[in-house]
Amino acid sequence: MNTFYATNLLVYAGVDIIACIALNLQFGVSGITNFAFIVFQAAGAYAASVLSMPPDSNPDYSFQLYVGGFQLPFPLPWIGGALAGGLVAIPVGLVVLRKLRSDYQAIALLVTSIIANTVITNARPFLNGAAGLALVPQPLQDQIDPRSDEYYYFYIALTAVCVGLVWFVAARIVNSPYGRTLRAMREHELAATALGKNPVELKMTIFIVGGVIAGLSGAILVDFITAWAPSVWLYPETIILFAAIIVGGRGNNVGAILGALLVPVGLEEVTRQLIQMDIGPPNLIPALEWILIGLFILGFLWFRPEGVRPEPRRVFRGGPDVGEVEHGRLA
Amino acid sequence: MAVSPEVPMLVAEDVHRQFEGIHAVDGVSLEVPRGKITGLIGPNGAGKSTFLAVLAGTLPASGGRVVFEGEDITRLPAYGRARRGLVRTFQLPSEFARLTVLENLLVAAPKNRGDSLFGALMGRRYWIQDEERLVDEARRLLRRFGMGAKESDYAGLMSGGQKRLIEIMRALMLHPRCLLLDEPMSGVHPRIVEEIQHYLESLRAEGLTIVMVEHELRLVEQLCDSVFVMAQGKLIGSGTMASLRRQREIVDAYLVG
Repeated sequence: MNTFYATNLLVYAGVDIIACIALNLQFGVSGITNFAFIVFQAAGAYAASVLSMPPDSNPDYSFQLYVGGFQLPFPLPWIGGALAGGLVAIPVGLVVLRKLRSDYQAIALLVTSIIANTVITNARPFLNGAAGLALVPQPLQDQIDPRSDEYYYFYIALTAVCVGLVWFVAARIVNSPYGRTLRAMREHELAATALGKNPVELKMTIFIVGGVIAGLSGAILVDFITAWAPSVWLYPETIILFAAIIVGGRGNNVGAILGALLVPVGLEEVTRQLIQMDIGPPNLIPALEWILIGLFILGFLWFRPEGVRPEPRRVFRGGPDVGEVEHGRLA
Repeated sequence: MAVSPEVPMLVAEDVHRQFEGIHAVDGVSLEVPRGKITGLIGPNGAGKSTFLAVLAGTLPASGGRVVFEGEDITRLPAYGRARRGLVRTFQLPSEFARLTVLENLLVAAPKNRGDSLFGALMGRRYWIQDEERLVDEARRLLRRFGMGAKESDYAGLMSGGQKRLIEIMRALMLHPRCLLLDEPMSGVHPRIVEEIQHYLESLRAEGLTIVMVEHELRLVEQLCDSVFVMAQGKLIGSGTMASLRRQREIVDAYLVG
């Protein structure tokens, strides 16, 4: 295994972990079925790109059309990417989360994802349409050679810092009274409302927080692969992340990380190895990958709906000594 | 807030609620006195639960006014009314199943510094004092309702009667001034019915105003200081149970047998 390959794996793992922690906050903890999750990652990626790229009038970049081109230094594009994810979440959340029942919210978000992808694909002057953006400058590339081992280590470290930061934020939310309120809303929204909780405010807040984190994950990814196009953020990408959360354990941050490592990272790796073994007709293995993801979701929902690492039962100090209660085995 | 004791706790003025042409609540006006238990009875489909929901704001009124402690709250959403002390419970179990019994109570507690995004991000040290104070308060309530040993169990695993108690305790964590109970005794073991009855009486002794929808007339008779009767979305009578039993049309509408 060479350094580039290992770096690739680790950066993708970091990006998927960050995305899964964000989706876990929304879906696992708060019960928001955000089927448009990948849109917020894409918003971050596009924003980070146009913030760091030169204007499209630049001769090296004139083969593509896009808005912006601000050539901002690192880390501004990443911060901008995170903000973009949060900003996109505001109008989407205001439309979807206020009046619709939660099952319709899921459908509306899925449709949002498809519409967003179609619009970006066809509105070429905005973000270069289907061809997407290329030659996205990498952080500090004029100080360290992006093709050196040092740069790979640097990028892994940057990703790790972001994973740590996101973990810190998510853990503070989940383990606080605020996190408890979010879980209560997930369990019974009307009852939470009748106890003085404003569900729209709670959902909007977590939708935006998740959007910010998703945007950051997109910025990290695009600056590593230096290109971004509508074909990499089709709605099935969201389904993979949902599979990760369900497998890992809804409502558990550790579960979200495990799910990220098992489903997007693990499965991709296995697929890659199988493709190299040249089994069956071309495209057989990638197609089977989707079947496998579907079976993963179904299997876990059927046999272990609480996932590998279920949401912990919170026992308070000084309470009566009670026996072990099986975690998460509730209908 | 300084409100004179003569102002009724809760006033409904010509309250309407329609569902696509069906008049579930059809012009109900009534006053709920302070510090009493007021019963709301009537046959199935009379609109009692809908009326209660309109009072609590979980359903908006189609017409009329709801006044709570002298203040018009008709446009106030349910969470705003709960924060002011007008708290409802539900006819069907509505526990937070995957939260523990203690957590169910803690969720309801207002004034926890950790119960906001900002507070959560500030970390444990910022909110732990509030949390510990509320855990103590919730444990006192759990002991009073005989559920102290259950605090760490998932609420979803409790029995129907225990879920009723959780519902009432959760509402009490908000320090309500007026409690709206939707059939708090339905589907509950007779022994727990007696317990709930005892708790409601002791809450009244502490000055809490209670409105309850109830089908079991024996209970209403024992518990309620006054009673409103609804049928077909309208208020058809009010008074004590004894005086209602003497009124012919009310007996015909509901009190048969």
